[in-house]
Amino acid sequence: MPLSTQSQTNEEFYVLVATLDNARNLSNILKAIAFKDHAIFSATPNGLKVTVEDSKCLQANAFIQAEIFQEFTIKEDLVGFQVNLTVLLDCLNIFGGSTVPGVLTALRMCYVGYGYPLTLFLEEGGVVTVCKINTQEPEEPIDFDFCSSNVTNKVILQSESLKEAFSELDMTSEVLQITMSPTQPYFRLSTFGNSGSAHYDYPKDSDMMELFQCTKTQTNRYKMSLLKPSTKALALSCKVSVRTDTRGFLSLQYLVRNDDGQICFVEYYCCPDEEAEEE
Amino acid sequence: MVNTGALSRLPSPALPPHICSGCEFGPHKRVRKYDIGITSGNKQFYFPKYMTTAPFLEQHASLAAGKRRYLHSISSIYSTEQMRRQMKQHYLDVLHSCLQSGNCVKAFGRAVHALARLGDELWLDPLAKGLALRSVNSAHSAYSCFLFSPLFFHKYNLRSATEKSAEAIKCKLLMKSILPLFRLPSIERTVERFEISIEEDLVKMKFFCKHGIVKTHNLRFQESDALQAVFSSHLCPNVLKAPAKLLSDMVMHFPVSQEEITLSISAAKVSLRNYFERGNGHMKLMHTEMSLHPDEFHYFQVGVDSDITFCLKELRGLLTFAESHCLPVSVYFGAAGKPVCFSIEDMVLEATVVLATLMETESRAPSQHTATPLNTTTSRCEVEAPQDRSGVEQVASSQGSPILAPRLSLYPSQIDLPCGQGDPIRTHAPSPAPSLVCSLLFKALSQAEDAALDPKVLVGVSDEEDVMEEEPQSPPL
Repeated sequence: MPLSTQSQTNEEFYVLVATLDNARNLSNILKAIAFKDHAIFSATPNGLKVTVEDSKCLQANAFIQAEIFQEFTIKEDLVGFQVNLTVLLDCLNIFGGSTVPGVLTALRMCYVGYGYPLTLFLEEGGVVTVCKINTQEPEEPIDFDFCSSNVTNKVILQSESLKEAFSELDMTSEVLQITMSPTQPYFRLSTFGNSGSAHYDYPKDSDMMELFQCTKTQTNRYKMSLLKPSTKALALSCKVSVRTDTRGFLSLQYLVRNDDGQICFVEYYCCPDEEAEEE
Repeated sequence: MVNTGALSRLPSPALPPHICSGCEFGPHKRVRKYDIGITSGNKQFYFPKYMTTAPFLEQHASLAAGKRRYLHSISSIYSTEQMRRQMKQHYLDVLHSCLQSGNCVKAFGRAVHALARLGDELWLDPLAKGLALRSVNSAHSAYSCFLFSPLFFHKYNLRSATEKSAEAIKCKLLMKSILPLFRLPSIERTVERFEISIEEDLVKMKFFCKHGIVKTHNLRFQESDALQAVFSSHLCPNVLKAPAKLLSDMVMHFPVSQEEITLSISAAKVSLRNYFERGNGHMKLMHTEMSLHPDEFHYFQVGVDSDITFCLKELRGLLTFAESHCLPVSVYFGAAGKPVCFSIEDMVLEATVVLATLMETESRAPSQHTATPLNTTTSRCEVEAPQDRSGVEQVASSQGSPILAPRLSLYPSQIDLPCGQGDPIRTHAPSPAPSLVCSLLFKALSQAEDAALDPKVLVGVSDEEDVMEEEPQSPPL
């Protein structure tokens, strides 16, 4: 249900206006990357990109294209700001986040510009709430320099199979070891916990495997604590692409379908565990 | 020697096409080059060539084709080659390993869950008679064993006993590392095959799941002394065999928090009621009592009237398992103080739970608000005459048993019995005085099973050889 036009008088002052009929289309995606308090928002005419980072080793990005929004107006080429993601999610769910069908929370997100708060207009069932969240100076997101030309191994899996594996992973293990190889074992997730080791093997001809392109055998270890937040994105997604490059950096890209069937992407970049490589 | 006269009277049986391995008789014949064709009337029959040289057929050249076919079908069932194949399956091989199909994984997983309710550690014991999974609780007052016979597995290979005579592997795993591998609702849907093997210091579990996914878990185990309980079930005076759902339906009425229940048996009925200590505000608790008529049991034997009190929590696992497999539950017990054994079995598995019971000299029963006090302080089993309880609402049994007036007996006033199940015995036989003792039949299995197995020695301490009473050796569980 579109919001009333009460704020249209200020329209010309906003550098960014984004409207959604269903705020859940945004909040669900943001929950998948909400492992830290602060998020960097970058808006371009193509859409919205939200970045969350952890200890310079992990970066999560959520991409919501402009087409997902009912209205997406941007006056500059790049608008960037940083907000507290936890607060933003609380505001998006301010009406309690009920899942009664047919009852949707509408959202209008407005940003005047540098130094101004991010204004959210939320409406459900005729009740309107206005939230103003302070913004901060956007930090520069780390560039992991992960480009397609350096990718050595790439695998696209259906999320079903990985969801089960990730939910069963031995949490006493400090690392998750990912082995990708053109020969046996084609794609293997391994943990080394207190009680012993566990290996999850996915053959390249499995029906869960949509694409298998591995050029050389690579085994990399990643800290379990860093990869744990990605399970939220995995739970929402229907497909996941796992890529490693020559340096052992990991890229996980999740294809997420929102409530209206539109596609958004969430990606995670992770550094390999340096200590393990020294051993 | 075949009596051709008799055979000539036999009609040729109509054979289904698949009865002979390798040869097909029927509309879709698969004729191999070396088969011999024999024409009889309009039909042509094919036999493998070796059959023509079979001695018993040679001597009876006059046999008709149908009769030969019949004889061939019988002989292939009993062929020595097939016998050899079957024996090989059961023979001991070089590796410890067993393979199961996906359906069996469910039973295995349920067994692990049932054992998990008891203790924190799981003992895995590959034996010639099967793979035994055992568990004991921390107080050593409850023991459970699930034995899967080799028939349960598609393949069961054991390192031959002669190679490592006294050093059979006894491995102990932490329950928390094995339980998450068997998530019950999902495991039967996803796992197609399951392989478990025990090597030097690892238990390897391989789950072959749908879509070609293979999950391998290598668990380190601790070598430990074997865990085994010795329980002479054949010496128990009281034996019950209850249909699968009966006991689990009964225990359903007790709240999950109910720790202990009392099972009373007499010639007239069996009753279950909740157990609680005196003086703990017992009047404020809900008292539940259910009675069953002996007819509700498949087998009912009462040697001595008794009331036994044991921990219900540890039994629930087995009852759930029995219900899911529709297996009747056998109960073996004696007087209060002696352990009670619950067991289930079918062709491929046996499961037992042995629980210690409270030993007490005083009787207990829920008091009624209209009760008249009794003077007697003797144990309940000596009270014979049932008495009427007025003012107590009785609920008709859904099983159709007649409504029985429960016996009334009251608390003796003097002695306060301590709560809980007491400590496991370490030394000698308990004195019959008011001290509350749980006796238990455990004995760590030492390599020489020669000594007369004493029913009162406890698990875990293999060096203890307290020989108190001589009892005839019963088969270990």
